[in-house]
Amino acid sequence: MKILLPTFLLLLSLPAQAGPHVVGYERFHSQTPSAEGGALLYSELGCANCHGNSQVAIPRKGPSLENLSSRVDRDWVVKFLKDPNAGREGSTMPHMMHGLAPPEIDAITAYLGTLGKGLNFKKSRHANAERGSALYHEKGCVACHAPQAKLESELAVALPNLNEKTNLVALEHFLSNPSKYRLDGRMPHLPLDKQEAIDIAAHLLDYQSSDPRRAPDLKAWPKAERNMVEQGRALVTKMNCASCHDLPGIQKEKPHLLSLTSSLNQGACISIQPTKSHPHYQLSEKQRASLIAYLTIQKPKDQNHQKGHLTFAAMNCYACHSRNGIGGPTPESNAFFIGDKSLGDSGRIPPPLTGIGHKLQHDWLKGVLSGQPDHLVRPYLKTRMPAYPAHAETLTKWLGQLDSVPGAKPILSNSKDLEEGRKLLGTRGGANCITCHHWGDKKSLGIPALDISSLNQRLRPEWFRSYLLDPAAYRPGTLMPSLWPEGHSSIPDILDGNTERQIAAIWEFIKDGKGHPTGFPDRSGGKFELVPKDRPIIQRTFFKKTGSKTILVGFPGQIHIAYDGLNAHPSQVWKGRFFDAYNTWFTRAAPFEEPLGNEIFEFPKPESKGRFRGYRLDASGNPIFLIQSGGRKLEERFSVSDRKLSRMISWTEGTAPVVTHPKGVEVAKNAKKNTLTFIYSWK
Amino acid sequence: MEVKHLLLAIAVFSSANAEETPPYRIVELISASSPSDSRSKEWKPGDGIPMEVSGMEWIGDTLAVAIRKGEVWMIDNPLSEDRDKIGYRLFASGLHEPLGLTLDGKDLLVSQRAEITRLQDNDGDGIADAYLTECDGWNVSGNYHAYAYGPERDGKGNLWVSLNLGMGPLANNSIGWRGWGGVIGEEGQFTPKSFGMRSPSGLGANREGDMFFSDQQGTWIPTTPIYHLRPGVFYGNQESLETLKSPDSPFQMSAIPKPNQPYPKALQSCPEFVPPAVWLPYNKMGRSATDIQVIDQNGKFGPFDGQLLVGEFTNSSVNRVFLEKIDGEYQGACFPFLKDFPAAVIRLSFAPDGSLFVGMTNRGWSSLGNRSYGLHRVIPSKVPPFAIQEMRAKPDGFELRFTEPIDPDSITRAGALEMTSYTYQYSNKYGGNEIQTKPHELSGVEVSDNGLLVRFQVRELRPLYVHELRTKGIQSARGRALDHPDAFYTLNRIPK
Repeated sequence: MKILLPTFLLLLSLPAQAGPHVVGYERFHSQTPSAEGGALLYSELGCANCHGNSQVAIPRKGPSLENLSSRVDRDWVVKFLKDPNAGREGSTMPHMMHGLAPPEIDAITAYLGTLGKGLNFKKSRHANAERGSALYHEKGCVACHAPQAKLESELAVALPNLNEKTNLVALEHFLSNPSKYRLDGRMPHLPLDKQEAIDIAAHLLDYQSSDPRRAPDLKAWPKAERNMVEQGRALVTKMNCASCHDLPGIQKEKPHLLSLTSSLNQGACISIQPTKSHPHYQLSEKQRASLIAYLTIQKPKDQNHQKGHLTFAAMNCYACHSRNGIGGPTPESNAFFIGDKSLGDSGRIPPPLTGIGHKLQHDWLKGVLSGQPDHLVRPYLKTRMPAYPAHAETLTKWLGQLDSVPGAKPILSNSKDLEEGRKLLGTRGGANCITCHHWGDKKSLGIPALDISSLNQRLRPEWFRSYLLDPAAYRPGTLMPSLWPEGHSSIPDILDGNTERQIAAIWEFIKDGKGHPTGFPDRSGGKFELVPKDRPIIQRTFFKKTGSKTILVGFPGQIHIAYDGLNAHPSQVWKGRFFDAYNTWFTRAAPFEEPLGNEIFEFPKPESKGRFRGYRLDASGNPIFLIQSGGRKLEERFSVSDRKLSRMISWTEGTAPVVTHPKGVEVAKNAKKNTLTFIYSWK
Repeated sequence: MEVKHLLLAIAVFSSANAEETPPYRIVELISASSPSDSRSKEWKPGDGIPMEVSGMEWIGDTLAVAIRKGEVWMIDNPLSEDRDKIGYRLFASGLHEPLGLTLDGKDLLVSQRAEITRLQDNDGDGIADAYLTECDGWNVSGNYHAYAYGPERDGKGNLWVSLNLGMGPLANNSIGWRGWGGVIGEEGQFTPKSFGMRSPSGLGANREGDMFFSDQQGTWIPTTPIYHLRPGVFYGNQESLETLKSPDSPFQMSAIPKPNQPYPKALQSCPEFVPPAVWLPYNKMGRSATDIQVIDQNGKFGPFDGQLLVGEFTNSSVNRVFLEKIDGEYQGACFPFLKDFPAAVIRLSFAPDGSLFVGMTNRGWSSLGNRSYGLHRVIPSKVPPFAIQEMRAKPDGFELRFTEPIDPDSITRAGALEMTSYTYQYSNKYGGNEIQTKPHELSGVEVSDNGLLVRFQVRELRPLYVHELRTKGIQSARGRALDHPDAFYTLNRIPK
């Protein structure tokens, strides 16, 4: 059974002459043909696989075809082989089969069906497409692929018709192991657990049932005759498919280096009309012009710099990160980067990678790129950093060379100023680092900026030094202040305000790894409990069940009320302890509070709303609430005596107001002209 | 209460001569004994009154101070430099994070999160006994960032209130006039007038009675602006656009400006969208402006009468703003002025003797000053400041007025004056960089005979751009160096 194609997965309808779709090219180089854009295409269309001279650090490869018959529908494979664009619009796979007869394509398919041992999938028991949709949009898939609501995007990697191509269990398998099949890291490894993988797969296939076992199986590939397989294998060898795809037992040909530039216009691969025995790319005019420019124009002087840019564009690191002012989320994807708003944009957008090879130590960077979970230091980012396990070492080494800053001023060595370091990190006259930054298990005193207790394991010390001197130069828009503006310390009384010694002291204290900065509070609390003694205590606050305009009144008689200032009526009454004012008085984001006492009684909400106009205090400090109700004025006085709460309502004109009383409380009533008194007592 | 008996007189930085007495000295009344754990969920204020100043008002010689804990204190004899002679009386308590205080007749009006409250002392015992709702009607979601500021009185007697946008958990900016400024209506209802604010924590009228407010760098706001506050205009922040749908909205936008275009272009989107009278470039002039206080002290606070002082939170400093009217609209220049306060400056108030009281509180945000709150006083010394007193736009350049005659040679030298102009991107991002920066060629530097005025021409002035003037080596005739060499003029309009 085929599941109907959900609309959002409809192929992106790129214009006919759009050519193979390379996101980095579309984003940065598609406006004007350039040698740089051509260099990117040269790598990303796989030209370099046959002709050598890849311009990116991690060469482009075709996907692994291992286990193809367990993962991909045969009909789709045939359709794709005949016309890659029909299988996946904007595919970077060139037409290879235009010179072949249908039986030959069947033979190739037969050969492909023998690759791998086949997979026995263990089916998950539960899938949730809705959760998958949330994950897809939150965890970073939409950095590279189009969000659900958007049918097309120039800057998104198009998905094929997945229901035609694969099925739920195979897609789950793929999402759990992308690096097994996408050897070049263009689809990176994702830190998804099994449940997340199947939920996202269910979302992508629009599989709405919660039981994955009911999802359709792939049609079995027909068993092929041996000679047909052999014929296919011979064709695949001859066509040099192995130059892009890893094929067991098939050697790829030696590179056919391109040296002549004069014949490029007739170049077989990039010609407008297909040439038999050559791959055919349906390039757009601009793409063709870019490639020709790349192949004919002198190479740029700063090849390293170009290689840096091209690699970031090829791997689409730019989808999440900026580097040297280029890239970062697009206007379309930006809103999908979410995190902790209190950290500003750094709380939701992955960090810029400008100078990353200078910033991070080799081992740490390698750990990040290999996907070691304890190397992710920004838990507030919802977008997850993908991993490139097979390429981590190469990338790390390469970035280290690319970004090295020879002669960067080092941190003073052999600092013995550990105590000063502790003080500087802390809040008692220090640089207040822990005001924003976590320290190991200890939460920061305020916003949840990343843990700095082990930054010596991550950062290169000379980078750390320059960063502290001018954080905004490294992270534009950072909330991190400069405590050493223009190199001058703003903390004159530690280490004589010597900037270099102060920074060294901080570094050494972190490196020393013993103890924590000064200023973390003890958690005793309770110092600000309000205890009414001689007179009532009145305090406004946010209060659960009463609201954002609550007036608390605590009476010496251990009976207290919460008055609802939005609706002008008493809302809660309780006995025992009154209220801890600490949060209301002194925290930045005070929560909705609760009574300290245990016996709490709620007043039913009255039907008609009065308008609260404040309160007066009588000589004993009891509040008289002032209420405008309809055209008249009411007063409502509360007091406590003999462990009873007295509530006296008086008015100047008209009939008695409707009054509600808390449940579970005994009410004694006393009515006089224009005055009602209720005495509340407890059984 | 822990009081340091050391009278601190902190020198205001003067590049002229370290030996010279600075033009202003800063005297401490209270500094927090606790440090600035400003964002701590468990911050504790230390001993004594937690003087997280959030409002100041003078009642004769007594200084009334609102503090964030929710109290109003009366400070007797605040002008004494012997701190033992200064007395503190608790006047009102139990308020919900007051952030503004204004005298009204014999009463005090104080903001709380959900209302403006009139505090009365009817029995005359020095303690408030009536807390009357003066103004309400805005939404309070319970989000911490949804502050309410004011009231502040303009020349016509209107009492202005400004309402912060919420941010983070519980925030709701789509109802209840978040991001709006308005006045207290006759029935005590908040009456919205203009919107597009983000964090309008400072209100203040100039000598002409026109109201101004400061906003703070953040979403939609590339850097701190100072705006002329008046009805029917939009100040750029779109987070509370939904409120326009309220039937009580006093006006509608004829178009919604699109983000991600340079400010000068975005401003053309609709007539309601107005530029700030002054931009305060990020870092160069601080990061988050707070209170606005006009100088109207008959010269007792230096030759700056009519200008505005602007509190600066993150840099723990005070800036100065000169305004002029071009084609009926305010614009002008800002200058660094005072610095080295021990905590984030949030409120400014002139004492009857012409000294300036500076109220500070950090809670929630960091600052260069590493104490968490305080109340200090700035007293002019006998040495006058040497500053660019005024910077005026001219059809072909600018005119500077100095506070004392300058050495003409020092300014006509090549390189003594440099100017660049830039603007900002109109964007929903949090803050923004200077963009389209361009150096300008200056020419025709002329000094008036009395040495006080300097005219110069600027090639290709750019309307709506900030024109940043950097001076180098300018000396007074007496050989003093400028207290602050730089000035930043927001050239919304070029005079004809």
